[in-house]
Amino acid sequence: MAQTFPFSAIVGQEEMILAIQLLAVDPSIGGVLVLGDRGTGKSTAVRALADLLPPMKVIKDCLYGCDPADGSVLCEACQALKSGAKRKVESRAVPVVDLPLGATEDRVVGALNLEKALSLGIKEFAPGLLAQANRGFLYVDEVNLLEDHLVDLLIDVAASGENLVEREGLSVRHPARFVLVGSGNPEEGELRPQLLDRFGLSVEVKTPQDLALRVQVVRRRDAFERNPSGFRAEWDKANHKLRQRIVRGQKAIQNIDVGDAMLLLCAALCHKLGTDGLRAELTLLRATRAYAALQGDAVVGREHLRIVAPLALRHRLRRNPLDDTGSGVRVQRALDEVLAA
Amino acid sequence: MTEAEAASATQAWQDAQLALMALQLEPQRLGGIWLRAGHGPVREAWLARLQGLGLPVRKIPNQVDDERLLGGIDLAQTLQSGRLVHQSGLLAQSDGGLVLLPMAERLAPQTLAHITQAQDRTSVASQGAQASPTRFGVVALDESEDDQASLPARLTDRLGLWIDLRNNSLADTRETLEPLSAHEVAEAQALLARAEPTPEQVHAMCQTAHVLGIDSLRPPLMALRLAAVQAALEGRCELEESDLAVGARLVLGPRATRIPATQQEAEPEPQDSTEPPEPPDDQEPDDEPPDDSPEDAQEPQDLPDPAAEVLLAATLASLPPHLLDRLLMGQPAKTSGSSVGSSGQAGKSKLRGRPLEPRPGKPGAGARLHVLATLRAAALKQKLRARSAGSGRVQIRAEDFFVRRFAQRTPSCLIFSLDASGSAAQQRLAEAKGAVELLLQDSYARRDSVCVIAFRMAQAQVLLPPTRSLLRAKRALAGLPGGGGTPLASGLQAAVVQAKALQRAGTTPMLVMLSDGRANVSANGVGGRAQAQLDAQAWAVQWRLCGCASLWIDTSPQPEPRAQELAQAMGAHYFPMPYVQAQRMAAVVQDLGNAMRRA
Repeated sequence: MAQTFPFSAIVGQEEMILAIQLLAVDPSIGGVLVLGDRGTGKSTAVRALADLLPPMKVIKDCLYGCDPADGSVLCEACQALKSGAKRKVESRAVPVVDLPLGATEDRVVGALNLEKALSLGIKEFAPGLLAQANRGFLYVDEVNLLEDHLVDLLIDVAASGENLVEREGLSVRHPARFVLVGSGNPEEGELRPQLLDRFGLSVEVKTPQDLALRVQVVRRRDAFERNPSGFRAEWDKANHKLRQRIVRGQKAIQNIDVGDAMLLLCAALCHKLGTDGLRAELTLLRATRAYAALQGDAVVGREHLRIVAPLALRHRLRRNPLDDTGSGVRVQRALDEVLAA
Repeated sequence: MTEAEAASATQAWQDAQLALMALQLEPQRLGGIWLRAGHGPVREAWLARLQGLGLPVRKIPNQVDDERLLGGIDLAQTLQSGRLVHQSGLLAQSDGGLVLLPMAERLAPQTLAHITQAQDRTSVASQGAQASPTRFGVVALDESEDDQASLPARLTDRLGLWIDLRNNSLADTRETLEPLSAHEVAEAQALLARAEPTPEQVHAMCQTAHVLGIDSLRPPLMALRLAAVQAALEGRCELEESDLAVGARLVLGPRATRIPATQQEAEPEPQDSTEPPEPPDDQEPDDEPPDDSPEDAQEPQDLPDPAAEVLLAATLASLPPHLLDRLLMGQPAKTSGSSVGSSGQAGKSKLRGRPLEPRPGKPGAGARLHVLATLRAAALKQKLRARSAGSGRVQIRAEDFFVRRFAQRTPSCLIFSLDASGSAAQQRLAEAKGAVELLLQDSYARRDSVCVIAFRMAQAQVLLPPTRSLLRAKRALAGLPGGGGTPLASGLQAAVVQAKALQRAGTTPMLVMLSDGRANVSANGVGGRAQAQLDAQAWAVQWRLCGCASLWIDTSPQPEPRAQELAQAMGAHYFPMPYVQAQRMAAVVQDLGNAMRRA
């Protein structure tokens, strides 16, 4: 396995870093879309995500990494276990799975296990990327170039949280709850609105213009390329600290109080921006809560909303595809008005 | 050739030599080479030297499929042994060496994405097999002409060395450097391992990149690496100023998007002048630093222009809805004789497009075998067949065959050819832009790509090669100045050239022509009405021969017979843009302008 650049060594790009941390704290926010220029470290940051995540508990040997604590979403095998012998639990790293652009449907959905079929004549399901990504993260680089049929697939599974396979005489259903992470350069193509909607947060990255920052980026990258393992060891401690912070946030989030006033504020903001449906409000709420948890605050306040709102709402505005006035500006304006009222 | 040109050609060849050596020492971290050169002895000479470096060079043809690229099932072995045998793909096999992409400008975006992803991640995971390392450099050969789409920026950004040998002659190639011997390589690589830029040097390189308007952070990294390579070649492990200079010149130089402002003449404010500065060609459009120096006079263009918005709304009223649909549905007028231009696109549906589920069938006659599906079909019957045949091999019978199928998605590209001459007076041009924007929105919904051509003064210019990014199309339009003669023939010619290129790529082109049809500059760029009109007529016929749909929006005040004539020659739908609206428009714009001046 190739070494990834350590997350804590990433310089600048605060918004992207924040969004990824929020997701790590509360995956139910629903994914992040990172759009921006070339050479800004989009994919570096996402692939480093694994650094932030503490290992999770899974039912032993489960192909889909079922959660022993949650009996409502289990794969068929684990459900069978439930009634029979006592389930064993093991600890696994949270998966961060790469979905390559040209992946075949077989690879993504899963297919007949050829090896077994050929050698033993047994019909068995070989899980695909969606199964691997269950309870973890699914990363699509260049998501705006993804083939339409894969987009359809992702949209469907991301919404239902389960993967239904009906092919080659197989009939399999397994949980596939994953956090969708996408990145891309908007210059190269637009994203389907339906897919856009599946992302909880969106960030826009730009190349840093501050020279000192740029120098730092280049130096760290250079050091990493020179000696990947040495560089990773150097940043081990910082990574560890960051992970602790995430864990604390994950624990704190249950006890965070979101007052009615806050709910009203969220609703007013969404109304003002004309974002459709309740998804926007819900995401906004969750993201704000996750941010408060990350900061170690017990109550969600206005300052949290101010930071998080652009991330959660920016990509949900109805917009003229040709209008390039940043939707971030519009969110900011509405935010100022709502908070001032 | 002038002396200066000769000197720059010589320099280019020397740089190309240096690039080879650099690759020999450091194939991977420099990203690779973007070589612009036509097919010919110069390129052959260079490629021969590339082969002589002692590095494994894997050529990847454009029609490579994902299975070969990333690895897949080894059919022969699988059938022999009766179990699944994987084989590594070309990218994994290129580990430690170079990947050669001939005609990289024609590479499918998917293939390209795989290559850049493998390069970035330095490993590739193919179906079912474990990840294998892919540390390679890319040598991308680019034969595109000036007016054609070149390599996508996604790739060029990752290629450290940009070499242009288009102006070199064979005479230049006599002077060659000997490749390093294995011993020399080992020595230099030992030095390279220790060569590390000082913080000051890193700073200097970053600053240079910044001043040159290079936003991506890859170039300074690669420039530093090249500097280290240069030092190692000289037998040092400390980087000196001259090394940095080489790195900066070769890596940063060609990417510069702006010249450091020493004494630049003040540019006029573009907002209301007739000639706003054109955005430089390759510039990333949206990343001007906010805090910056006087040369960023383009900023105001990006601001929403209230007048333009009003125009847009007005043109909306004057254009019938579903113009594009009509264009697409409407058959182009029959070409004389048989189907000259339509190059058998229908026949491709078995070979390209979005993959569908494979279905049982015989391969051949254009259908390709779907190996995986065939194996799957055969797999479950193996026990049965083994009993009858009694051998250990996997038995595949004709009834198992599955073939590949693709849904033919015919991507279409809208070509806008826009008359920006003086005769398409200022306001009509603004309206025409408004019309184009409307059509762009329409095409966004349809997910077409667009291409923008403008013609004025002596010739036509491709403002925007085919792209899916409507934002860029809009920007290209916003920056378009008006005035000068009407080289209608060039405008049509450019459209024909683009259309043919698109057809070759399997895309269906459509043309929207916005002009008053009054040509006064001939195809050669010479003035004179009569010749100009004849030339335009000739190219109109050429368009008709392409067999593609087109639409002529007449921008003259009253329907113009000459425009109608040309439209007919092209087999285009003719549509006059009514003047009544425009007059009302003019009044509105004037009022608005007055109001703004008072404010």
